[in-house]
Amino acid sequence: MLFNSLTFVVFYVIVVTLFWTFRGWQLRKNLLVVASYIFYGAWNPPFAALLFSTTAMDFWLGRQIGKAQGQSAKKRWLVASVCMNLSMLGFFKYGNFLLQNFQWLLARVGIIYQPPHLDILLPVGISFYTFHSLSYTLDIYRGVLKPTRSLRDFILAVSFFPQLVAGPIVRAGDFLPQLEHPTRLKPNQFLWGVALMTLGLFEKIVLADTLLSGPADRIFGYAGPLVAMDSWAGVLAFAGQIFFDFAGYSICAIGTALTLGFHLKDNFRFPYAAIGFSDFWRRWHISLSTFLRDYLYIPLGGNQVRPFRAALNLVIVMFLGGLWHGAAWTFVVWGLLHGSYLVIERVLRIFFENKTWAGHPLTRVVAGFATYGAVCIAWVFFRASDFTIASRMLTGMFGGHPNGDMILTTRELLQIGIVTIGVIAMHWTMRDESFETAVMRLPAWAVTTIGAFMAFAIIFTQGTSNAFIYFQF
Amino acid sequence: MPSFISNFKKRLRLPRMFFRTPSREEQIHGGPPLEFERPIPPAPWRGIAVSITIIVIAATAAWEWHARALGYAPTLNENDDLWTMARRRVQPESIVVIGDSRAWFDVDLDEFQKGLGERPVQLAAPGSTAWPVLEDLAKDETFHGTIICSFVPMIFFAPPGSPPMVRIEKCVKRFHNQTPAQRASEYLGIWLEDRVAFLKPDDLSLEGLLNELPIPNRPGARVPPRFPPYFNREDRERRARMWEKCADPNGALAKKIQQIWIPLFTPPPPPSYVPQDIFMAKMKDGIEKRFADVTAAVEKIRARGGKIVFVRFPNSGGLRELEDKLTPRQQNWDPLLQMTHAPGIYYSDFPELSGFNCPEWSHLTAGDSVEFSRRLVLHLREALKMPATQ
Repeated sequence: MLFNSLTFVVFYVIVVTLFWTFRGWQLRKNLLVVASYIFYGAWNPPFAALLFSTTAMDFWLGRQIGKAQGQSAKKRWLVASVCMNLSMLGFFKYGNFLLQNFQWLLARVGIIYQPPHLDILLPVGISFYTFHSLSYTLDIYRGVLKPTRSLRDFILAVSFFPQLVAGPIVRAGDFLPQLEHPTRLKPNQFLWGVALMTLGLFEKIVLADTLLSGPADRIFGYAGPLVAMDSWAGVLAFAGQIFFDFAGYSICAIGTALTLGFHLKDNFRFPYAAIGFSDFWRRWHISLSTFLRDYLYIPLGGNQVRPFRAALNLVIVMFLGGLWHGAAWTFVVWGLLHGSYLVIERVLRIFFENKTWAGHPLTRVVAGFATYGAVCIAWVFFRASDFTIASRMLTGMFGGHPNGDMILTTRELLQIGIVTIGVIAMHWTMRDESFETAVMRLPAWAVTTIGAFMAFAIIFTQGTSNAFIYFQF
Repeated sequence: MPSFISNFKKRLRLPRMFFRTPSREEQIHGGPPLEFERPIPPAPWRGIAVSITIIVIAATAAWEWHARALGYAPTLNENDDLWTMARRRVQPESIVVIGDSRAWFDVDLDEFQKGLGERPVQLAAPGSTAWPVLEDLAKDETFHGTIICSFVPMIFFAPPGSPPMVRIEKCVKRFHNQTPAQRASEYLGIWLEDRVAFLKPDDLSLEGLLNELPIPNRPGARVPPRFPPYFNREDRERRARMWEKCADPNGALAKKIQQIWIPLFTPPPPPSYVPQDIFMAKMKDGIEKRFADVTAAVEKIRARGGKIVFVRFPNSGGLRELEDKLTPRQQNWDPLLQMTHAPGIYYSDFPELSGFNCPEWSHLTAGDSVEFSRRLVLHLREALKMPATQ
């Protein structure tokens, strides 16, 4: 079920009405479990059974880790949980990819092998709920979380519908404590949640789908060479589209949860105003970057090891981060590019961090735009369906096709330009504060005007229920 | 220097509870402190919510009034879900209409039902080639009904990846993969579209209005052709009827659409990145492959007891001249019937089918489509070898 669909509107109204009508906290939690499974099953009912089985297994394994005496026994149960989760993810998401690469490797040594094509349907949001569930056993093993006694609570923590299919990746340790005490209906909190939902839908329906996705799709789907302007316009359109699409989903999720009395953390913090790549990853898909930091980077030794090893750790983490997004080498290259950016930034810091000019506002602005440019270059690999397209796009962007084609209308170029300048200006204006603080500074009439504009724009735009990009992950 | 949290708390003047240290009881899971509870910006939210609701309702009502003042009325919009809904009605022995918008506009289901004894299922779609639907029906082992297939050469032979293919492939894919949520949205959407006039994605949406901005393009830019604006109504059975505003051939809307068809039906120049001779050879191969694929699909359906008849629906004016020039019937219609051994009805072969005028050169008016269908049914019965008494 998509947030930007009529079905969700009806579903949400029913769920939120029943939730606040029911008196008992246990009853409310039961309602949310049923609603979450309906939300998920509305996409493909059989996969709700898969979701339940992995959740139940992790619940049981979490208890075993909690009960186990000694570190090695705990580790055995943790390994079982990690293997179960990753094998599930591996089978559904990477099965065909692994077979294709195995075939390619055998062909390199002269063995011709034709693997069967597995007709596997990817369960929507499997990468997200696997991480929700995995965080539980990992945190119990790390000793920062005690196993919950309630299977129902754990099911809800994994499958809570606002964040189930496209994040943010909510850790069990952040959510389970919120299930201990009944949430209370606070009118201002509820209305702020609705405001966030409106903002999220505006970003998705108006900005991502209507103003940016068309030109981005045409540019990345074009089979011929393109001039620099169209190539850059396509990449900038995609940079805006993916931000508004994913940040829009996250804001909707946060807002929806808030109207039910639950608090989810920010997933984006004005990333296109990042100065440097470590700053970017503190602002982009924060729930994933902190997940990878806590459960992968730090266990690998983080930066408490020799510089070369620390750099290698970064690259490994970003390699796996890239692969998490999709079973294709283009995603791996995207991850490796970001890994390299992070390593280069560390090296530059060693040389230049203490220079007086490094903190100058102009240097920071230049560094910010350089970061944005490098992020856009990486987006080429993220969006291109293969390396031929990626290479053609990059050649076009750097002037390699002076006689290439122009395929965007002037109106589309203007649209992309205005939205891009707008998003960058907004991010730079608010980069050092939270969204809530920015709203707080506005007078009530301005909040009303902006809110009414966004709500009417959603109706006026007549969205087409396009799926969110991150659903495929 | 104050931390971000304390600074934030001060600025928001939030109650202490938002950033309190959790009690031992609250840490029962050993989880992190609850300091991530989201702050709510202090503002008169109730007043803001009421004001926004009033403004949005007023603006929506004004937009609806404006749409109706322009002559728009509530009607369903053509989309993948509505097509899927019709596709689900196909039974093993159904009569199915497939192909492009001419079959969509010109076929009157009531007249077909009267004449053929069974109500057909309308699967023809605007700007779509028949092939993906024909292929899908051929693959459906249970189907052994009757197919009435519209034939417009420029669209029928559309290559893979072109808009006429992509458009209908999406519909076929939606039919096979439609989720319960999409199905529910389809019914809710129909309910709304039946009541609200401004729900016209082609004309009255943000994108539709942006498309109308008179901004000139760069010289030499290979921009996509413009598509016609809204000019038809559609019902739950996907029966399209031309909007009265378009029925006058000298009216502004009809004239505007006439001028849109010409570039749409003119083959685009070959892509700059493929040598012309290779491109032309590829196009020729593509057409031959389409002939072969269609023949195989027709044979497959016929082997199960099914029937197919091809129909060339009327066109007029400059578009007729263009089509006759670019796609003469000797090069496509005749070979198609020859290869598939299927019957065909070319409207201009029969005086009773030839006298109709398409106001915007490509489709019949709602009234003419009824009369045309009544006359066409007699030819269909003959082509399908149906007993005269039925």
